[in-house]
Amino acid sequence: MSISYSDIGADLRRIVISGRLDIPGTDSVAAKLAELTAAPKKGVVVDLSSLRFLASIGVRALIASGKAVQQRGGKMVLVVSDSSTVMMSLRATGIDELIPVFGSLPDAERAAVA
Amino acid sequence: MLSVLPRADELTIGADGAEVRRASEWLVAACRRREVPQAPVGRLELCLNEVLANIIAHGGRPARAAPIRLRFESGAGQDCSEASVTVSDAGKAFNPLSVPAQASPASLAEAAPGGLGLRVIRRCSDWLRYSHEEGRNHLTFGVRWDRP
Repeated sequence: MSISYSDIGADLRRIVISGRLDIPGTDSVAAKLAELTAAPKKGVVVDLSSLRFLASIGVRALIASGKAVQQRGGKMVLVVSDSSTVMMSLRATGIDELIPVFGSLPDAERAAVA
Repeated sequence: MLSVLPRADELTIGADGAEVRRASEWLVAACRRREVPQAPVGRLELCLNEVLANIIAHGGRPARAAPIRLRFESGAGQDCSEASVTVSDAGKAFNPLSVPAQASPASLAEAAPGGLGLRVIRRCSDWLRYSHEEGRNHLTFGVRWDRP
């Protein structure tokens, strides 16, 4: 389980989460995700393309971060492979209709700062 | 109607997060041995994680004190195959089939943290069965897929 980030200019932060966002995985990264998405950036891209599994506890962490970004006037988007089990989780929870999801990183980055 | 008698695998786990991951690994390995396709495996694994997370979060002290028993079954019919997992726990009696489905939130601001697990279980399974016997909850969730 790992979480890392890079800042792209002043407005955009890219956060990469890999591994499994099940109970132990989410416990290990949720606080860091909240800290990273609290930065005053206009756009936040959370790259889940290397994530292998996403349970609802991980979805809750994404919702909390997405709300925090939105409340300070920013925008959070996700990068997910369309055929992955992670996409299945997002669809099953309905969160794909609340947080924009993109299949490619460039598309996500453009949307996050649009 | 299944024409081939189902075969079963069983596992007993404790009620904590690390054990949920062990249960996931057991389920995926059992599915691989039975040649269950990837898509239904993913649906079963998601349901299993959500059912176990609900037990840990809401089952109370009895759920955490007693082992959770898991049973995986798979079988094949004329037109389709199916696989199921039965989760048996000693926690507070809870029938997820009795809980009304919640409407999806219209916006991120309205999204509530609760209820996601049940939504996943309902959307990712093809059928659910619940009983409460001898002080234990027995929840079975199953998936079907077309035979090639």
